Amino acid sequence: MRVLLIEDEERLAENIVGALRESGLAVDRAADGETGSYLAEQDVYDAIVLDLMLPGKTGQSVLRDLRRKRLHTPVLVLTAQEGKESTVELLNSGADDYVSKPFDLGELLARIKALIRRAKGVSTPVLKVSDVELNTVLQTVRRGRYSLNLSPTEYRILEYLIHRPSACVSKRELLEHLYDFDWDHHSNVIEAHVSNLRRKLNTEGSEPLIETLRHRGYRLCGERNVV
Amino acid sequence: MRSVSITSRLTLTVVVLEILSAIALVGAITVHERHLELKAFDATLRGSADSIMGAIQDGENDERDLVLETRGMQLPKDVVFRVEDERGRVFGSAGSLPPGMAEPITNASTFQNAQVSGRNYRFVVRHGVRILDPNEAGGRVRRTITIIYGAPVDRVWHEVFEAIRFFAIATAILIGITALLLVWLVRRCLSPLYQLALQAERITPKTWQFESPTSAMEIMELRPLVRALEAALARLQRSFEQQRRFTSDAAHELKTDVAIVKSSLQLLSMRKRTVEEYSRGLALGLDDFARLEMTVQKMLSLARLEQLNEIDDRENGRPTCSLPEAVEEAVHQSRSFADLKEVTIALQIRSTAKVPIDRHDAILLCSNVLLNALQHSPPGSSVHIEMNATEGKAKLTVRDEGEGIRNEDRPYVFEPFYRGDPSRSRKSGGTGLGLSICKSICERAGGFIEISNGAAAGALVTIVLPEER
Repeated sequence: MRVLLIEDEERLAENIVGALRESGLAVDRAADGETGSYLAEQDVYDAIVLDLMLPGKTGQSVLRDLRRKRLHTPVLVLTAQEGKESTVELLNSGADDYVSKPFDLGELLARIKALIRRAKGVSTPVLKVSDVELNTVLQTVRRGRYSLNLSPTEYRILEYLIHRPSACVSKRELLEHLYDFDWDHHSNVIEAHVSNLRRKLNTEGSEPLIETLRHRGYRLCGERNVV
Repeated sequence: MRSVSITSRLTLTVVVLEILSAIALVGAITVHERHLELKAFDATLRGSADSIMGAIQDGENDERDLVLETRGMQLPKDVVFRVEDERGRVFGSAGSLPPGMAEPITNASTFQNAQVSGRNYRFVVRHGVRILDPNEAGGRVRRTITIIYGAPVDRVWHEVFEAIRFFAIATAILIGITALLLVWLVRRCLSPLYQLALQAERITPKTWQFESPTSAMEIMELRPLVRALEAALARLQRSFEQQRRFTSDAAHELKTDVAIVKSSLQLLSMRKRTVEEYSRGLALGLDDFARLEMTVQKMLSLARLEQLNEIDDRENGRPTCSLPEAVEEAVHQSRSFADLKEVTIALQIRSTAKVPIDRHDAILLCSNVLLNALQHSPPGSSVHIEMNATEGKAKLTVRDEGEGIRNEDRPYVFEPFYRGDPSRSRKSGGTGLGLSICKSICERAGGFIEISNGAAAGALVTIVLPEER
């Protein structure tokens, strides 16, 4: 999952980016409203964290322009302003959630994850496809009786695929949603990770879960059911 | 506190004046009425005396004398009279005359007052001449007749009192009606005042709308009050809004700084880390904390400067310090920052002026202005500081070679937390309070600070302070 953080306050942004990356998300950061608006409109993010007081372009107009372009990326607003009116105004103009400063970093992470989940049509943190169970809070994966030991990237690939069961997910899409600009991304990397993931998912007496569609991408077989 | 009602005071004053003039009027009327009544009484007396005179007839008897025939006359019961001639012969009388009734023989009638059996009487003395048998030759006899006729005077007084009573009752009724009318009228006249009070009562710190009632504006005496109220409210509202904005900006600033400190520590504690990671995290956290501390410190400085007033100065004595020393100290303090930014500081001091500012505040003023200039200086440029004193004024200018100041920002740069662009990045450093603090210090000392674009590129800050001799 890839998150865009639009925040001008250098140190605060560093901390949020650090926390999001440590919890397994790819993060891009924009330091002003215009860059933020441009990046958000690329439509490759699974969630956007938006500060309101931004140089160049205010958070409100970034949000407004995003919704005007019919982009439905979930947006969490960081606000230091008091008062119910601005909160109501924000939610009405298309924000999905808001956190007031000074916020709790853990809460911010949980809210971002919940937003991503809900945007993908899931309301609990535990995802299930056939006999595979993925816990997004603990970041653990089980298949049947076995607990699987996945690398962070493998986990993220599986999480993304589980969110889109039976759909064809291209390598490019995986790249876009799993890596931020800081990574040197190449489709070969994805292939290697998917191959590792497929091997680890192959437990005794189980069917292959990830199907490769030549020149098109990957598909996760089986129905998703939510626990 | 003694409360006084305008309505009752006005009404009371008018009613008292009315009563006083009524009393004066009653007095005048009494005198006048008495005079008139007495005149009428005298005329009646004379008339009665004349009719008695007319009732004297030639007698039919042998004595061929005069006879008083009163049978046809209707004389009041309590009258007293006596008719006699010069020989002392009495023709007729009623009641008893008081003794010593003088009888001067003149042609005019005379009036006298006397008491008859305890009552006040007024008498008329009338003389007349009668000629007996005027037709008979040689039989002409002249008789000089004196009539003394008196009637009780209390009737006059009775009439006077009646007239006064009528007048007094009418006046009392009129005064009563005017008093009621007056109360109503005064209340009505004062109603704009009540409306004004009602409007003023609606004002709270949240709702500042004050619509001066037109009824109050129409009254000339109330207009200055309404104007004063409006002006005072506008001033209050301005300062209230300034305070509110300051509070909200300060809250925003503090919250952001706290959010940084908090998130730094929370990020550090998200999982177990190596010793190196912890020590790096702690160092970063400390830096964040130092920034929070600086914000708080500047806010406190500003609050202190705004709270200090002249009374404190009088109590503690006016502080003074040498401006060149403060400038040098500020330059000394900023040296490392200037070196870091590769900016040279060019100092030109041409005076040893003393200014009425506490030494600590003077250094704060100079270093804030200097830091501001350094922050806006590109590497390799220089900041020029000049100080001189003329005509009792010390002048300090600080010029940088940066991007200068936008004209639209000029009126606001001294407002707390103003950062040009409404949300310019905090990266540029400072809390947005530095220049506000400078302005506070200058104004408290009776000087001023202004910012403009210098002849060359860059901003030029000019500080003018009164010189202490």
